[in-house]
Amino acid sequence: MKKIGLIVNPIAGMGGSVGLKGTDGGIYKEAIELGAKPTAPKRIEDTLALVNRKDLYFFVAPGKMGEDYIKKFDFKYEVVSEIGTQTKADDTKRIIREMVEKNIELLIFVGGDGTARDVYDALGLKIPVVGIPSGVKMFSPAFALSTYAAAEIINNEYAEVIEKEVLDIDEEAFREGKLGAKLYGYLKVPKKLNLLQGKKEASNVNKSETIIKEDIAQYIFENIEKDTLYILGPGTTLATIACKMGVEKTLLGIDAVVNGQLVGTDLNEEGLLGLIKKYLKIKIIVTPIGGNGFIFGRASKQFTPEVLKLIGKENVIIVATEDKVSRLECLRVDTGEAESDNNLIGHAKVITGYKTETIIEVK
Amino acid sequence: MMIKLHMNENPYSPARSIQKAAIKGLENVNRYSESKFLIELKKLLGNYNDTSSERIVLSHGSDLLIREIINIFSKDRKIIMVNPSFFPVTQYALKQASRLTRIQISPPDFKLDSNLLLKELNEPTLIIIDNPNNPTGKFMIDKGFAEKILQKKDVLLLADEAYYEFSGQTFASMIEKYPNLAITRTMDKAFSLAGLRLGYLIMGDCFKDHFPDFLTYLSNPTLFAAIEALKKPEYMTSNVDKILSEKKRVEKELLKTGIQVFPGNANFLLIKTKILDFGKRLNDEEVNIFNLSDEWMEGYYRISIGLRKENDVLLSTIKKICNDDKNRNL
Repeated sequence: MKKIGLIVNPIAGMGGSVGLKGTDGGIYKEAIELGAKPTAPKRIEDTLALVNRKDLYFFVAPGKMGEDYIKKFDFKYEVVSEIGTQTKADDTKRIIREMVEKNIELLIFVGGDGTARDVYDALGLKIPVVGIPSGVKMFSPAFALSTYAAAEIINNEYAEVIEKEVLDIDEEAFREGKLGAKLYGYLKVPKKLNLLQGKKEASNVNKSETIIKEDIAQYIFENIEKDTLYILGPGTTLATIACKMGVEKTLLGIDAVVNGQLVGTDLNEEGLLGLIKKYLKIKIIVTPIGGNGFIFGRASKQFTPEVLKLIGKENVIIVATEDKVSRLECLRVDTGEAESDNNLIGHAKVITGYKTETIIEVK
Repeated sequence: MMIKLHMNENPYSPARSIQKAAIKGLENVNRYSESKFLIELKKLLGNYNDTSSERIVLSHGSDLLIREIINIFSKDRKIIMVNPSFFPVTQYALKQASRLTRIQISPPDFKLDSNLLLKELNEPTLIIIDNPNNPTGKFMIDKGFAEKILQKKDVLLLADEAYYEFSGQTFASMIEKYPNLAITRTMDKAFSLAGLRLGYLIMGDCFKDHFPDFLTYLSNPTLFAAIEALKKPEYMTSNVDKILSEKKRVEKELLKTGIQVFPGNANFLLIKTKILDFGKRLNDEEVNIFNLSDEWMEGYYRISIGLRKENDVLLSTIKKICNDDKNRNL
């Protein structure tokens, strides 16, 4: 039997029906007062109705966080932990940790971007997840596109697990019509097999994401210049590059390397400016955020217009897997200063493999 | 029965005389194809393209010829392609090319920036471009721009004109003048021979030396059917006219549903919709279209133009899905 964890954030998505963006913070109470109805239960029930595998054993969260929905179906399950009448983010994290102790192989969660962040906090990259979207915002690429897509992943064996971004959306800014998507972390997501396409056009010669990242890292490594400050942005591709350089970088922070030595970790603007002054040759390596394509976003506070101006557009190296780039309409910049943005827009080369690159528009 | 609108096939069967020719070919499949028939097919293709039969190379599928060109030229040349492009060729180039540059074309115009491409031509290069592009249906380069490229002696241009009969644009007339030009074509699409697989290359002088000077053996059914189809091209042209007329109708009807349609120059339409699981929902109703989300961007689908009655089912199913979606979101 395949052991699967199931957890539902019962309040995710309630803001949307009453015109509120998100339920983070105190907004949940406001949503209730406005007559908001839960959307997560229907999402999980729609998904479970499409699951036809018989070899699954579920570990579910209690009551409205999981048990209430699975008991309507014919699956084998047991309930993990306990909850009070009002559920909180801490409940999600605590229950997921208990599920991990039960040796689950896959976690199904229902919720929004906030829930995805809680899942990341509790799970990191330990176990693959299937995220079923029920929130208002849904900007994190870690989510499956729909309940059907989620069920398809659960029903089929997957050959590969890839890392997808969990984004930190500032809900207050979002309510004001601004979007500042900051990278919060990564979740492991099974790569869906294309079951509907004709065989002729199915791509079966794809390299795995891990190998592609290693190819990118190898290419960067072979072209490293001596006595040059390499500023490495966040992300797993950059972590692979750092590993090739012989250093261990922070996954979400900005780190700096010179001649194979780590000279700064988790740098802020001040730290970056201090280092930039010390070196004659400097290069930034970044990867776009999957889904929206930001390389320098409003929320990437460290890469300020001043930092970017000192380094220069010609010293920005962009890396990403083919798969990620192909899914983007363009790359985006939003440094918060028009002059800085104008300097970066146009076209950019993205290194996508060993001696492989894609030229893409930057907006 | 499933309506197949996902592989850009021709919905019309080959003419009876072409089917008979293929059956005749089956009668002696214990023998290799005879040289005289292979020579005849090359002559017919030469005439069809107003060029010498010596410039024609035959193959079971134009994608095999493109792969061969990648094999021959990628060792000491950079390859430039457009992204997206015909996926099997892209995947092959990604695997084989020693250096590969892809230029991403973006919605809504999917236009290739000519200056961007010209800037990249500073070393020996092989450009592979499907024209019109698959899956967008847009022309990537016109004759004027192709000439600019071809004036660079170190650059080879391979134009894949798989949809030429639908698009009406070809560089075939430039093949004598420009030794660094090659064109791939297929009889799979307009000539309704997808199941027999007949692709061919029209090659400029730079390519001629690299292809062996002997005839490619084809299967006899393919060979005889292709000869017959080329002897009576009016059957193909009348089908192409019907498909193009249907394409206009389908495009017009799709626009009424609120789905975004990107007009193109082939026998298919590129569309975009935010409706979740659109392809799956059509598939559940026995209509198969090509979901590009797995290879490219979310929400994009490619629809081949079928028979009128097939297109009617497609349109009524899409209208139903759109209405259901509207009601769901109310």
